[in-house]
Amino acid sequence: MERTAPRVGKPGPGEIASVVVLALAFAVPFISESPLVYSITNQILIAITAAFSVYIMLRMDLLTFAVPSFMAIGGYTVALAALKGGVTDTLLLAALAFSVPALVALPLGALVLRLRGVYFVLVTFVLTEIVQLLLFETPGLTGGSNGLVGMPATTLFGLSLADNRAVLFVAAGLALAAALITAGVTSYFRQHFAAIEENEVLAQSLGLVVWRYKVLGFVVAAGLAGLAGFSLVNMLLTAHPTSFSPISSVNYIGYTIIGGRSSMLGPIVGSTLLVWATNIFAIRGEYSQGLFGVLIIVVVLLARGGLLGAVRSLLLWVQTVRARASGTAPTSSPTVAPKSSPTTRVAP
Amino acid sequence: MTQATHAANRAAADGELRVEKISKRFGGLKVFDDINLTLAPGDILGVIGPNGAGKTTLINIICGKLAPTHGRIFLGGEEVTAKPFHSLSRMGVVRSFQQTNTFRTATVRENLARAVRFSGGSADVWRRLDELLARFGLAERQDEQSDKLPYGQQKMLGLLLAYSTSPKVLLLDEPAAGLEGRERTRVDDFVQHARADLGCSVLIVEHDMDLIRRLCPRIIVLDAGRSLAEGPPAEVLSRRDVIDAYVGAIDEEDA
Repeated sequence: MERTAPRVGKPGPGEIASVVVLALAFAVPFISESPLVYSITNQILIAITAAFSVYIMLRMDLLTFAVPSFMAIGGYTVALAALKGGVTDTLLLAALAFSVPALVALPLGALVLRLRGVYFVLVTFVLTEIVQLLLFETPGLTGGSNGLVGMPATTLFGLSLADNRAVLFVAAGLALAAALITAGVTSYFRQHFAAIEENEVLAQSLGLVVWRYKVLGFVVAAGLAGLAGFSLVNMLLTAHPTSFSPISSVNYIGYTIIGGRSSMLGPIVGSTLLVWATNIFAIRGEYSQGLFGVLIIVVVLLARGGLLGAVRSLLLWVQTVRARASGTAPTSSPTVAPKSSPTTRVAP
Repeated sequence: MTQATHAANRAAADGELRVEKISKRFGGLKVFDDINLTLAPGDILGVIGPNGAGKTTLINIICGKLAPTHGRIFLGGEEVTAKPFHSLSRMGVVRSFQQTNTFRTATVRENLARAVRFSGGSADVWRRLDELLARFGLAERQDEQSDKLPYGQQKMLGLLLAYSTSPKVLLLDEPAAGLEGRERTRVDDFVQHARADLGCSVLIVEHDMDLIRRLCPRIIVLDAGRSLAEGPPAEVLSRRDVIDAYVGAIDEEDA
């Protein structure tokens, strides 16, 4: 009997559940008419779309601060296309919002991702500052500190998507597209990404061209951030530098790590809870980053798997306690236990 | 069997490794100078020397993980000096690691599947692998997470990962380090199998002199940055200068 290798491209339960959850977002406009609910749902969907960008890079153990940069590139591309090019078709704008940041990421990634992970983190950090500078210092193109205002409403097949409800549909559609892309890429390349995350040197020694997969991930992550940028600009009908501040990168990292980096549901759970909490407790923007920073530290110290990992561990613990009470051992080994130790490095 | 012959023929055509006058420095620190060696398909070469002699560095240079300061490396006549690590692996120069080195949270099967996939291997690798898994007591542990295996089996898995890429030149960095007596004979078994199945050449860095004597018709002694002696183990290991270089170290385990 010949056993074959584990398949490459099969989405797991986490990926499927994530796509389903985001598809459910389309139901919100039918359930509620409250502007507050619309506004929070919009913000959550944008946060999720952007957090997927962080999630993809974390699959390869790479931390990216560049999410706001690529959001800005995507958002400004859309604003310029609408204002100067007269493009309002949502599908076309979405394609632009994905591909322009992705094209910017390609040479940058090819250059930087051959270096060690730390340098990559640094470069993404610097990139956010550079993009801010460019947005402020090129008023001819970007409107400088005024931003680009007065964007027309987007359309779909000639239909205007102007009202609150339609804007929410666009945000949900973009988030769903982002979820499908994330699920597709991370499940198709699951073995490659996991190998890079766990033991890059071993993967290389077996012939994997590691930097190519990192660049691929980076390009897709940039595209997803671009979609989030489109979503944000579409909600505000304005593209403004402050929407893409360097420090907001901490939020997207926070959503992902606090929610749980080991499954696609992590960024969804993290974004939903944290955006909701920020709104409900009326935490002012500048404090929320501080709060997220503290939460990230707590998660890293106490629950590496984030909220999702903590829930899993709890369920496993309950299962074990029950099994012990009834005198039988649990049937399956705890394969979903949160992973802990960092990758083995090989001494030269 | 025809397949093994075929593999051997192919390797004979393009598998010869030639290392010419390699030297390596890290800044002002000289690791070694002027190392030469040739490995024809099917050869088994032992590399011994006291700790710090540059044995692992030599493997790191041949496999492309480090670039040499001077000198050149050829594979089947083509120069491959300082080619990237992954390219050399794809060309058939594959190494194992001194420490246990697996994809820790992946199962044994997933580990091997990654090795086969990353190296662009074909499905018939699995038939040979299944036999080796059975020999090394790993067949029934294929669905276990690799870092839950006992130390010795993790080391064997490390060797099998290199084997799964169907290498032409296999570089083994202390394959027996930390293994018990009975487990050590599995290394012999592995090397013989790899050579017979793949027609590859094998370079073994090792401190276990019994293993070296059993496996290697030819050895090189590295000491203080140079090649001290080369030849059959019986002859080389009885030389006075080799014994002197190795005093107090010859039966020492673990780097």
